[in-house]
Amino acid sequence: MAAVWLCGLASVVPAAELAEVLACRELVWAADQEGGGPHVFPDPKNPEQVKGFEVDLAAMLALEISRASGGRSVHSRMQQGQWDRLPLLVGRVADCVLNGIELTPERQRDYHCSRPYFAYGLQLLSRRDGPLVSLEKFTSPGPTGRWKVGVLTGSAAESFMRNRIDFQIDVIGYDGTIDCMEQVTSGVLDATVLDDCIASFYADRFVHLRAVGRPFAGGFYTILTARDTPHLSAAIDVALGRMIAGGGLEELYDRWDLAGRQQILLLRDATEIPPAQQRSLLELAHDSLPLLMASAGMTVLLSFAAMPLAIAIGLSLAIGRLYGPLALRPFMAGYVELLRGTPLMLQLYAIFFLLPKIGLALPALVAAIAGLALNYSAYESEIYRAGLKAVPGGQFEAALSLGMTKWQALRHVIVPQAVRIVMPPVTNDFIALFKDTSVCSVITVIELTKRYSVLALSTGRIMELAIVTALLYLAMSWPLSLLSHWFEHRLAQRGSPFGKA
Amino acid sequence: MLSDVSLTVAEGDVTALVGPSGGGKSTLLRCLNGLDGFESGEVTIAGHRLLAGSHSPDVLEALRQDVGMVFQQFNLFPHMTAIENVSLSPRVVKRLPAGEARSQAMRLLERVGLGSFADARPATLSGGQQQRVAIARALAMKPRVMLFDEPTSALDPAMAAEVLDVILDLARAGQTMMIVTHDHLFARRAAANVVELVGGRVTAVSKKTPPGTGVPGGAH
Repeated sequence: MAAVWLCGLASVVPAAELAEVLACRELVWAADQEGGGPHVFPDPKNPEQVKGFEVDLAAMLALEISRASGGRSVHSRMQQGQWDRLPLLVGRVADCVLNGIELTPERQRDYHCSRPYFAYGLQLLSRRDGPLVSLEKFTSPGPTGRWKVGVLTGSAAESFMRNRIDFQIDVIGYDGTIDCMEQVTSGVLDATVLDDCIASFYADRFVHLRAVGRPFAGGFYTILTARDTPHLSAAIDVALGRMIAGGGLEELYDRWDLAGRQQILLLRDATEIPPAQQRSLLELAHDSLPLLMASAGMTVLLSFAAMPLAIAIGLSLAIGRLYGPLALRPFMAGYVELLRGTPLMLQLYAIFFLLPKIGLALPALVAAIAGLALNYSAYESEIYRAGLKAVPGGQFEAALSLGMTKWQALRHVIVPQAVRIVMPPVTNDFIALFKDTSVCSVITVIELTKRYSVLALSTGRIMELAIVTALLYLAMSWPLSLLSHWFEHRLAQRGSPFGKA
Repeated sequence: MLSDVSLTVAEGDVTALVGPSGGGKSTLLRCLNGLDGFESGEVTIAGHRLLAGSHSPDVLEALRQDVGMVFQQFNLFPHMTAIENVSLSPRVVKRLPAGEARSQAMRLLERVGLGSFADARPATLSGGQQQRVAIARALAMKPRVMLFDEPTSALDPAMAAEVLDVILDLARAGQTMMIVTHDHLFARRAAANVVELVGGRVTAVSKKTPPGTGVPGGAH
C-alpha cells in the first residue's frame, strides 16, 4: 500500500529519487523513437515495441541498479518525447534521459551527467555521385553556391558545423536525422553531418549516400539525471562502471555491430570536461535578443505573405461555390473539407517532404508560405461564403436591374460589401495564422518559437527567454488587433449594408 | 400566382397596378424585367421579347438597359456615395468615361432635388432622399420604361410626397412608367391607366385619357 502511495507521490514531487525508483520497480528513461537506429526505433516486425541498443542498455541498467540495492528486480520503461526537448522531461515524467545525448559543458551545468557510455564521431554523408569528396571542400562554394548541409537540431553536429565560419555552408536544422538523409537523397540538401553510428546503421537503406572522409570531431554520450537526485545519479554511474568492467557493455555493443572493443577502450580513457561558465542575464539578453528579433522578422514575413494569398484563394473559392459552374462545386467543397479536416503540420510535411519525390522540390520558405496559405484559404472560403450570403438579396437585384452582368454585380456591389461584413472573423484568423507560423519549424523554417526553443535549451534559461518571446509575440499581434479595429471603424463609417428604411 | 393576365400599354403612358396584398402586382412587374420567371405566355417590352421558361443572361442584360426599376427598399449601394451610386452602371455597363458619367449623374441628382447631397452616403440620407437617389440611379441608364415596385410603401407621408413629386415630374416629361402602389389617390393623379389585380387575375382596367399612338408594348 505504501509503495503504491509512494508511486503516486512520485508523479507529484519534482524528482524521483533512487528510493522511489526501487519502490515502484520502474526506471523511466526518456528517448525519441523518431530519432531512429541504432539508438531507439520502432520494431519493424512489431511497431508497438521499440528496439535499439539504448533499449537494451536501459534494461541492463535497471537490472544492475536493482542488483546493487539487493531488492526486487526493477524493469525499464521508455518515455517518448521530442529529441531536442528530452532534457525538459527529466524529473517530471522521466527519471533520466538516455538517447544519444552528447556530453557538453552546458549540459553539465544544468543537469547531472553520468560517466560516458558511448563514444561517437561525426560523419559527413553526401550523394554517391556528388562533387563532395572531403570536409575541406566546404571552404569553397559548391556548384550551386553555398553548400546546403542538414543536421539534427540541437546536436553536436549542428554546433560543430555552425561554428565553422570558414565553411561556405548553409546549415539547416531538422527534427530527425532520417529526414536529413532523405533530403540528401532527393537532392534538396548537398550533405548531412550526423553521428557515425547512425550513418552506418542506415547505410543499407540509403544506398545513394556515401560517407565522405573518416569520422571527425566527436565526443561521448551521457545519461542525464536531475541535479536533485544524487542517489539515483550515483547508482547509474556505479551500474555503468560495472557494465564496462564486467564486459556486459562490450557484449551489447558487439551485438549491435558497434565495435565493442574500441568503445570500451575509449570509455575507460574518457577525460573530464571543464564545467561551463555562468552568464549574467544582461549578457544573455545581449546575445539572444538579436537572434529572437531576426526570427520574429521571419514570423512576420510568413504571416504577411501567406494571409493575402489565403484571402485571395478563399474569396475566389467562395464566389465559385455560390456563383460558379455547378459542375465544379463538388470539387471546391472537397478541397475545403480536405484542407480544413487535416492538420496544418501534416500538410506542411506533405509539401516539403513528399513533393520532392515527384520532382517538385520547393525551398522551405516557399513551402511554408504555400502550406499556410492553402490551409487558411479553406477557412477563409467558408467565411467569405457566409459574407456573400449575408449581403441582402435586394442588392443583387438592384445591380442586375441596372443592366449589369452577374460578374459586374459581384465585383462592384456584392463582394465589396461581403468583405466589409466579414472583416472581424478574417482579422481574427490573421492573428491566429500569426501564431500558427510556429508550426513551420517542422519543415526547417526558423521562426520565433523554434528559435526560442533552441536558445532555451542550449542556454538553460527557459523561463527568462519564454517571457521575452511572449512579449515579442504580443508586440507583433497587438498592433494587428488595433489595425483591424481601425479598419472596421473606417468601413462602418462608409455605411453598413443595412441602410435606413 | 399569376394567371390569365393580358395587358397592352402604350408608350408614354403611365400605368398604375393596384389591388390587395398578394394579388400578384409585384410579381407581374418583376416578370417584366426578368427578376421573376413565368411558365407560359410572353413579354414584349421596349422592343425586347421574353419567352416562357428561363431567359438567357444576354437577353436579360440587354432588356434591363432599356427597362429601369425602383424598389420598395431603395436598395442603394451602401459602400458608395449618392453620385457613385448613380454613375456606376453607366460607367461599368455602357463604358462611359468617368468624367462624363459623373456630370450626367450630377444633372440627374439635381433634377430630383439632391444636387447638394452628391457626396453623401446612403446611411446619412432620409428614406425619401434615398428613394430619390434610387430613381436618379435608374434614370442614369436612360431607360425607355421605368418600373416602380411600391416606391412609397416604406415611407411616411411627408417623404412619400417628395418621391411622388419626382414621379409626377417624370410623367409630365413623357416617361413610360408602370407603378405598383397601394396609394389609390396617387394612382388616379399620376396614371393614365389603372389596372386592378386580385388573386393573380386582372379584375378591372380603367383609362383616363384615350390610348396614345405609337409602338405598343405589352404583356399578354
